[in-house]
Amino acid sequence: MRSELKEYGFIWSVHSLLSLGAKVANGTPKEVQKLLNSVPHFRDLLEAFLAYGEPGRLFLVGFARYMEMILNAHKEGKKLCFTTFCQSPAILHAMGVVPVVLEVVTVAGTLMRGSAIGEYMDVCLEAGFTETSCSSQRGSMGAFLAGLADKPDFVLINTPGICDTNANSFAFAASYFDIPFYQLNYPPTLTEERSRQYHRADFKNLIAFLEEQTGTKLDLDRLRNIMAEIQKQDEIICELQEMQRLIPSPVPGIYNLFIYALRFTLGGLPECTELLTSMLAMAKKNAAEGKSGLSGGEEKKRALFVYIDHYAANLPLFKFLDSRGIAHLGGILDRFYQEAAFYSQGQGYSFKTATLDEMIDSLAMQNSRLPMVKQIRGPYDAPEMWLEEVKNLAELTQPDFTLYSGTPGCRNTWGMVKLLVSDLEKAGYPTHVINSDAFDDRVESWTATAQRLEEFLELRGLA
Amino acid sequence: MDATLLEAASQIENPLLSEFKQKGGKVIGYPCSHVPEEVIEAAGMLPFRLRGIQTRSTSIGDTYFGPFVCSCPKALLQNAGRGRFHFLNGVIMVQACDSMRRLDECWRKAGNDFPGIVPDFFHYFGVPHKVTDYSIAWFADEIRKLAAALEKQFQVTITNEDLSRAIEETNETRRLLLRLEEIRRRPDTPVTGTEAMSLILAKTALPKKEYNKLLSKELKKLEKKSNPKNVGRLRVVLAGSVLDDVSLISLIEAEGALVVADTVCFGARAYRGEIPPGEDPYVTLARRYLNEQFCPRMFGYSKQRLALITDRFEAGNADGIIFQNIRFCDLHGSENGLFEGRLDKVGTPTMRIEREYGTMADEGRIRMRVAAFLETIKKRKNAA
Repeated sequence: MRSELKEYGFIWSVHSLLSLGAKVANGTPKEVQKLLNSVPHFRDLLEAFLAYGEPGRLFLVGFARYMEMILNAHKEGKKLCFTTFCQSPAILHAMGVVPVVLEVVTVAGTLMRGSAIGEYMDVCLEAGFTETSCSSQRGSMGAFLAGLADKPDFVLINTPGICDTNANSFAFAASYFDIPFYQLNYPPTLTEERSRQYHRADFKNLIAFLEEQTGTKLDLDRLRNIMAEIQKQDEIICELQEMQRLIPSPVPGIYNLFIYALRFTLGGLPECTELLTSMLAMAKKNAAEGKSGLSGGEEKKRALFVYIDHYAANLPLFKFLDSRGIAHLGGILDRFYQEAAFYSQGQGYSFKTATLDEMIDSLAMQNSRLPMVKQIRGPYDAPEMWLEEVKNLAELTQPDFTLYSGTPGCRNTWGMVKLLVSDLEKAGYPTHVINSDAFDDRVESWTATAQRLEEFLELRGLA
Repeated sequence: MDATLLEAASQIENPLLSEFKQKGGKVIGYPCSHVPEEVIEAAGMLPFRLRGIQTRSTSIGDTYFGPFVCSCPKALLQNAGRGRFHFLNGVIMVQACDSMRRLDECWRKAGNDFPGIVPDFFHYFGVPHKVTDYSIAWFADEIRKLAAALEKQFQVTITNEDLSRAIEETNETRRLLLRLEEIRRRPDTPVTGTEAMSLILAKTALPKKEYNKLLSKELKKLEKKSNPKNVGRLRVVLAGSVLDDVSLISLIEAEGALVVADTVCFGARAYRGEIPPGEDPYVTLARRYLNEQFCPRMFGYSKQRLALITDRFEAGNADGIIFQNIRFCDLHGSENGLFEGRLDKVGTPTMRIEREYGTMADEGRIRMRVAAFLETIKKRKNAA
């Protein structure tokens, strides 16, 4: 790793950039320009966020707050927990634990630290990790392994049997740091009674684990408050996503990222609610005026994502879609399966908070419906799994085409994506597989990725 | 070495399997060591562990799987697509690791293009990733469901007595293989790693009773024998990804070493842990098959796995450990990396190789690396 990358802490540097961005959002044009000139890696993106007005500013504020929580956790006597994006942070916040959501932090590093993230990824290889593992964890994990951030205190994941590559990254980190490890484990079915019982037992054990790690008892009122906040957030998210069904969709594509980035990290905290409220107001305003959420105003085509987005090199995918008048209708990453969500079809969760058992059941239900956990735990064409979900979403949101984006580490989805694509094509949805790494443009440059995407749109008459 | 055992180890089909089929016996295939073969035995059927041997390409596998997937399930699908598993009456698909569990869909979909390759009985079998009282209870229930599905499909009844008998028969196999392990540990062992692996692999394709008889006979011969030429040969332990043929071991031994122990799937991992009698057999099966497998798909148990490898290294009086993983097997690959670093710190000679599954696709490279590794061990020993 270049010596200059070791000069400043990773979390510290990301936090500094974000908080400066958040502060300058209310500044004069001169102040904005001055900052933009000083942050070459972050410049394009910061400019883009600022262009989104209040939601853009609140995203910067919220994300800076999240980084600050990680940065100050140990100073404030809190525990740091390595965790994954498809694990709800609610229980961690309730226990006063700061979740380090590796995938989200990798995205932050990718966006703000440029090529540094590739070097952090390589630190993992030096520690013995495989290069074929998922880059979404490797990026930020490398910075932690290199000692550029505080050592985590324990690990909590829920991905064994969902995405083993993901689970393996966290198991590796736990072994490397020699810290406690807890896995929530899911059977390959979703709604069977024995699956529910398994979830409950597993979640109760998790609470015991967290109590042991933190030395504090779970505060039921605190958990109840966090769950109440999540309910508020859920209602807003459901409304926003309902609006994505409108033609044109009044919801800007970047909102999908805003939804999941803060929901995965600050779900249940007021910063997330504030951002969502602001986004809803903006989308409603667009809808009232019959405007699309695209910066050009005109919606020419609609795209549904069947897996994740693409983040390497300053979120080029979002810009690509926006500049061509293609509405981003969201995807698997921001479908949380609330009971009220338009796509839930009786498979959704709702919160009951009268007793601890009710809360545990509710959280277990919520967790088992988070991205990946819900769709890819069993065979792709089994009831309630990937194919059924994508077809359902496509029917309800009317995309012109669907897109798969992942990383070469997505062993599970790469094992079945060809079959999924074939079924979606048969169902009448042109589908393109982006063959790059969503977090690492050293695998395939964005230029090459964009070229292939252009070819797809051209050949399928979608340009 | 007995010709029947050798043939069963090196070929997909063998005479005893054909004979079993001709007598009306049913054969059930499965791709992972987490499947309790005793249930299949108890149903009077032959449990057949699927192997990718005899493949020369993965063209069929590549058609259905994506590019970044382990070549092991691709080779299995290749054999299925080529009709080499034509004798199967059923298949149990397993939630093993990411690559292997996707064999379920890929095989089913390939069936549309290669008619007749999907047996009527195609059962998806879940396996928890942790060992707790509730995961054992869930898994016992999953095993009961498997038994019920076999009963329904093949119109048979599996009683607890049948199951206990099958458990005892499989325990006998485990005891025999542990005797083989003891023989391998001797300084003048008469058996090479290649031969030992052949004896172990044959277990996966033969009727249990016949296999136990043949193995027992073979062990009696080996226990009386010794090979002074093996005294002083460098002794290595093989760890890591699945290994279902002898080519890698034979390559290592061709370079002068002796593979005296392993912790690989198909190898030692498949015969650890006798099942005690007495309890509900489904619960005892669940406990054994979750506790004893030591595959890194059981996340959070790396200390135990390292302890097992170290134990094999010490008990086998070995000189080094060869860690290998199939490309895209990140579970073994990254754990190998971790273990390599840990063992290096305590002075244990290790090497780590990444390879493709099956017949030696990059034999020259691996041969050179193994030779260099053995050379370094020799130098260290001479310097000591």
